Amino acid sequence: MFHEYKDVVGCGDQAVVYFTPECMYPITIAAGDEFNNKYGNFRHDSMVGLKYGSKIVSHDGRGFAFLLHPTPALWTQIVPHRTQILYLPDISFISLYLDLKPGKVVIESGTGSGSFSHSIARTIAPSGHLYTFEYHEHRAATAQREFREHSLESMVTIEHRDVVASGFGKTGIADAVFLDLPAPWDAVSAAKEALRKDAMGRICTFSPCIEQVQRTVLALDEHGFSDIRMFECLAKGHEIREVPLPDIDEAIGGHKVNFRVSKYEKKRKRDAEPTTTA
Amino acid sequence: MDAVPANPAAIAAGSSVIIRMPSSNAKIVCVKPGTTISLGKFGSFRADELIGTAFGHTYEIEKDGSIRPHRQPAFDSADITEANNREIVDDPNAQKLTFEEIEALKTRSLAGDVTAQEIITSLTENNEAFAKKTEFSKSKYIRRKERKFMKSFVPLETTVYNVCDHFFQFNPAKIRCIRTDTLSQVLGLANVYAKARVLAVDDGQGMLISALLSRIADGGAVLGIHDGDVHNYDLLRHMNFSADCKERLRTLPWSKLHYQMEPFTEVLPEDPVEQDVVGRERRLRGHTRMSGTIDMLNHGGLDALVVSTNYNPTTVLKRLVPYLGGSRMLVVYDQYKEPLVEAYAWLRGSPDFLNVQLSEGWLREYQVLPGRTHPQMSTSGGGGFILSAIRLAPAA
Repeated sequence: MFHEYKDVVGCGDQAVVYFTPECMYPITIAAGDEFNNKYGNFRHDSMVGLKYGSKIVSHDGRGFAFLLHPTPALWTQIVPHRTQILYLPDISFISLYLDLKPGKVVIESGTGSGSFSHSIARTIAPSGHLYTFEYHEHRAATAQREFREHSLESMVTIEHRDVVASGFGKTGIADAVFLDLPAPWDAVSAAKEALRKDAMGRICTFSPCIEQVQRTVLALDEHGFSDIRMFECLAKGHEIREVPLPDIDEAIGGHKVNFRVSKYEKKRKRDAEPTTTA
Repeated sequence: MDAVPANPAAIAAGSSVIIRMPSSNAKIVCVKPGTTISLGKFGSFRADELIGTAFGHTYEIEKDGSIRPHRQPAFDSADITEANNREIVDDPNAQKLTFEEIEALKTRSLAGDVTAQEIITSLTENNEAFAKKTEFSKSKYIRRKERKFMKSFVPLETTVYNVCDHFFQFNPAKIRCIRTDTLSQVLGLANVYAKARVLAVDDGQGMLISALLSRIADGGAVLGIHDGDVHNYDLLRHMNFSADCKERLRTLPWSKLHYQMEPFTEVLPEDPVEQDVVGRERRLRGHTRMSGTIDMLNHGGLDALVVSTNYNPTTVLKRLVPYLGGSRMLVVYDQYKEPLVEAYAWLRGSPDFLNVQLSEGWLREYQVLPGRTHPQMSTSGGGGFILSAIRLAPAA
């Protein structure tokens, strides 16, 4: 469900219950199951048969939410964090820079919380493959369970492995390698081994600290990688408000101006927060 | 069982390639068999030399039009020493070679009689100030001269990233100034996947259409609505798309948005000549294709709506949102914020959309060299804005 859409909600589906941009939850639709929060009690049985993107009303009719189809971008917003994750701007830029597309073979380490993994899987599906490696046993198990629940197993192979100690166990198969590790310079040689030899292979590493970047760049150069570039990438959100802009002549004329909030702003506030129960 | 890698990528005859020159200038060329590719002062070489080779290698151009692979070491061993620029005065007489002598060297270099390395060595040996420079400064000087004199180039694949980066640098107006990070975010937000049917408006000469086509595969489609009778997706020709890929692009003029197709009634004349048959077949194909496109549009429930338009985006959205499926994304790109503000207000005021967001990408490149890591001196101030929202399921 994360790598293609379906229109109608069915039992066993992964879905997203959406209240506000900051408040949404993943659920697995199951007969007899319920979702409860401060907005109300939402019964799964009432969801089955609805179209994705429908409004759902709580059982007592007082609260409401929206039932959305899961996507990697939504998953990045709601995935339970086991580690710090990558967000949309970096995920998007790296995907484009590494030329990911259907059919590509990608290696990733560490899997972490699987945020980027979901996006990669969607981008390379159905004929590509993601080999992802995580050295923390519990995280690896959790990610594996999630890939299975999200029907991504045919495209994603996760292995519990320390790639710095033992490499990837792959030779000449990857179009792209992505490293999100504390010491990516220690995995460069394994990455080189895993990249395909018959065409250009691309590598990207993600590091919070400039010192890590410097060491990685040196290692890449030593191993014969060319065209080494480094970027910082962000997305700035813009908030738009409608405000009244009265003519100063009103004040000079002695009129009292009411700087009240426009009715569009009022409606937005009203719709943003579904009714809370008393 | 390990996945089998996709077909190896080598430069195919007749394909488009981005040639990057040491001066950081670049041009898109067609590697047509039997032709010569000219890089101006950097020299010319036979296109045949590149066919069948891999991308990304550095080549030096030889006197006879052949090319030789050349490994450029990325990092010198420059380090901090006692030297500094305290005693260095900007004096044109520091260089002992005369203007005429340098011009003569350049001419000989073009003729292939002297290498760029030799020129640079002459310049540094004859420069009085050179010895006094810091190691970093010497390295920077040599690098600058290499960019000026080296007769080398790198052939790059026309990936979506490379093409977008190329035009953003050299002709941004052509692609409505969409920068690589912004383009990548449009793709990410729209949730484009292999079998997606994407409704698109691209007044940026096909940069967006090309990006969308590169992310779909068998079963997917891009439906481009365009001005005029024929689309203006000029960039498509650089992308080296396969015939299968190009088949996935369907186009429709705006004027045909609500068109009711008449059945195809053309009959052959009494004594048809080959031209008549061929012509009728062509028109029948065109008719069938347009019918199919209109059917796809009218069927609705499309998987994404992606817009980069010179028209008022609010008006475009009002027309095209009805074709978008529920829980699917609409994404609008514009190089300016103002047109998107009006659209934002409309989306927010409507009960049919969720999570209306306006964002702006920010991208900064850094030089990373031992002892010399810093942001690039000049960075792009504007790569455009993105408006996005989720469409709710239309009422039954």
